Amino acid sequence: MFKKRKNTGIGNKIENSITKTKNTPITLEGLRKSIEKMDDAKIIEHQTQNSKLFVLIYVEPLIDQARVNEAVIEPLRRCTKEKISDCISVSEIIDISTLKEAEKQLMRGGVLLFDTIENQLHAVDLKNTTGRAIETSETETILYGAKDSFTENIEQNITMIRRRIPLTSLKSEKFMVGSQTETKIILMYIEGLTNPDFISIAREKIENIDYDQILDSSQLAAFMEDHTHSMFPQFQQTDRPDVCAFALGAGKVTILVDNTPFVLNAPISFFHLFQSPEDYINRWIVASFLRVLRYLSFMLSLLMVPIYVALTTHHYQMIPLQILYVLVDTRSRLPLTPFWESLLMLLTLEVIKEASLRMPTKSGQMLGVIGGIVVGQASVEAGFASQVLIVIVGISAIASFLVPNYLITKANTLIQFIILILASFLGIMGIFMGIILLFVHLNALTSLRQPYLAPVAPFYGKDWLDLFIRGPLRWMKTRPEALHPLQKWRYSRRR
Amino acid sequence: MSGFSIFDKTSSLHSIYVTLMVNRIQMLYFVIILPVFLIYPYMIWVIILVGFLSQMSIFLLSKWFNSIYASKGYEGFAELLGERSVRVLAFIGLGLILLKITVITLGYVEITQHFIFPSLNTNWMILFILLICWYVGSLGMAPTIRFVVIAFLSTAWMVLLLVNFLFQPSNTIHDLFPLVPFDWTIESWKGVLFIFSALSGPEYLVLLAPWFNTRKKILKYMTIGNAFTIFEYLFLFIASLFFFGPHYLKEIRFPMMEVMRYMESPVFERIDMILISFYLINFVFAISIFILLFYGASRITLKKSKEQTTKSGFAFCCSIVFICLFINNELFWKEATNQNILLELEIWAGALTYILIPLFLFTSLKRKGRV
Repeated sequence: MFKKRKNTGIGNKIENSITKTKNTPITLEGLRKSIEKMDDAKIIEHQTQNSKLFVLIYVEPLIDQARVNEAVIEPLRRCTKEKISDCISVSEIIDISTLKEAEKQLMRGGVLLFDTIENQLHAVDLKNTTGRAIETSETETILYGAKDSFTENIEQNITMIRRRIPLTSLKSEKFMVGSQTETKIILMYIEGLTNPDFISIAREKIENIDYDQILDSSQLAAFMEDHTHSMFPQFQQTDRPDVCAFALGAGKVTILVDNTPFVLNAPISFFHLFQSPEDYINRWIVASFLRVLRYLSFMLSLLMVPIYVALTTHHYQMIPLQILYVLVDTRSRLPLTPFWESLLMLLTLEVIKEASLRMPTKSGQMLGVIGGIVVGQASVEAGFASQVLIVIVGISAIASFLVPNYLITKANTLIQFIILILASFLGIMGIFMGIILLFVHLNALTSLRQPYLAPVAPFYGKDWLDLFIRGPLRWMKTRPEALHPLQKWRYSRRR
Repeated sequence: MSGFSIFDKTSSLHSIYVTLMVNRIQMLYFVIILPVFLIYPYMIWVIILVGFLSQMSIFLLSKWFNSIYASKGYEGFAELLGERSVRVLAFIGLGLILLKITVITLGYVEITQHFIFPSLNTNWMILFILLICWYVGSLGMAPTIRFVVIAFLSTAWMVLLLVNFLFQPSNTIHDLFPLVPFDWTIESWKGVLFIFSALSGPEYLVLLAPWFNTRKKILKYMTIGNAFTIFEYLFLFIASLFFFGPHYLKEIRFPMMEVMRYMESPVFERIDMILISFYLINFVFAISIFILLFYGASRITLKKSKEQTTKSGFAFCCSIVFICLFINNELFWKEATNQNILLELEIWAGALTYILIPLFLFTSLKRKGRV
């Protein structure tokens, strides 16, 4: 009854006819037909000095016009040789035999050169490489350390990584993904160091993507993730080349996507999301302190408001007497229960946070300040929220920003709401149930089929030196065991 | 995820997990009520002696782990004992596992009611705990075993909180006297049985052998777990003796929790409520493991061990466990005053399984000439 029917519709017939056409031998007419109704596509006819006609076909915005004049048109005009392809001063000329191939070259910034005498089509790669200059990372800002960040140009991004790891064993495999976008994907890894399983899993996952558009690395990550329905990112997205180089050196794989400044590193664990590039720049004691602070802040941002709700709803006996006086005083005039009071304040905060992100930079900052202070103050005066809650919500909001990974900050908000609901029903017990569910969920997650809670569960004792604290680099003699690298030692000479 | 199986053996876990599992399974409900059954200071020696007895069981269990049958799981048991016998044993095991789940869950729920929610209908708490365990178990056996690390890290440190009670100015060495028993009553024998039953649990690990690197110094890792438990038992018992004294200890239902009630913090009063909630992590881990074993045993009993596991089947098992817990709670646990029949049964059942299962497996291996 539900058998899949073979599609014999009109769409299929057209597709078949297109395929047939595209594999047929190439003609100028066929090319003209391909680019009809494309105003940005140009067909230019010129003659060489010995009166041979040649036709240039290209899409104007995709090519470097100055280079076309300099490397193709002018040399051809002056050309006196028999074969016109001999006159062009570019490193590579590709011979094209089918229409499909010609279209592909055309849309990737190639200039098609039709030799009317020999009836042969050539393609010359003269793509327009202009793009954004290398700038400082805005998402992962650090005070000290490298300031460059990836751009939308994949070649430039590869260069930035290769400059940091000048090894021939740093391999890069190319894939084209997306039936419509034909997005270039590069899988990078250090051969002989990275576990071959990770490479083959990543390769398999990229090859299995069957989708029309891949416009961003996060979109690619969505197709490569082991767990689609989790709130937690299973790939580390970074726009910092030093982070990528560090990840590659540790034994991870890096995936670059064309037209995206964000690169994916995998496999990652939950704890990687709390590591900042600055950890390895600061003194180890300071870096360790900051890292512990980040974990604490994460827990604070998750639990402070639910604890307030749990205590004020179910467990007044847990609050010390001096604090209880303050709490009773502030809550006595409020019409809402602690749960509704907290929920409304958290939702308001989220609205302000989201609005300030979407506004232009200066307006956004102003909105954040005004929204935070005015709304907070007004809601206290209006009797909708207690001062204690405003303080708690404020602290938990600030604490949530300490986590270097923005994606986890967003997940954090949702988890906070879930724990809040549990706290309102089951008090402190509900909070712990929420935490257990969170741990259980994280424990079952995987990134490139590697456990997400490694090196805690499964347990890798040596990796703890760079987990909750950042131990001295001298002591980190081995690469993370959880990544199963083929080269265990970081030192080239064993000590 | 079509190929997902609850009992997938995708990874071979390090033997350190055995250490953690032995320890955490021995630190469940009984440890909370342990001092009530021991009372007298000379029971310190009994804890140590029974600890050695427990070590004997662990030694026998390690023989099983090192045998060729262990890593084969169900097939290994079937090869050694025959399929029919395995099915009969699985059927008996169903009852024993259910009894264990019942006692530890109802015991913990009773504690939460006593200390955190006096007016709460405990059936709700049972439901919530089982829902969490269902979620844990449904993710598979391997992640559930891995969860022991979190359970251990979240709860093992609690013992350290009691260090303070050992060095109170009011404590004297006389609180630990008499260290030699003047009379040995039936209650003292019951204490011995209780400790042995409290230490039971590792015998169920034989069912999890396929998930471990079984041949790598398993005895050493199990011994560490057992030794750590004995140390914890001793420490907790001595702390409660110092704090309450043997005469007052008799009167208290949950001495360990009562001790924690006296802890102070500038931020929270009643730290015991937080600690009890923390301890839920350990219970969730243990109950999830036992429910998974219950599911496995029912599949063997129903001759379905070769079929693919299903999440609905597991959910059905969880529902059965919930119904049993609900009935036991209403009929036996809530009604129990001085004599809790389920607790008495578990004391006997735990002690018997801990001595009989290792012995039975060892003799079976001997008979086959594989030791």
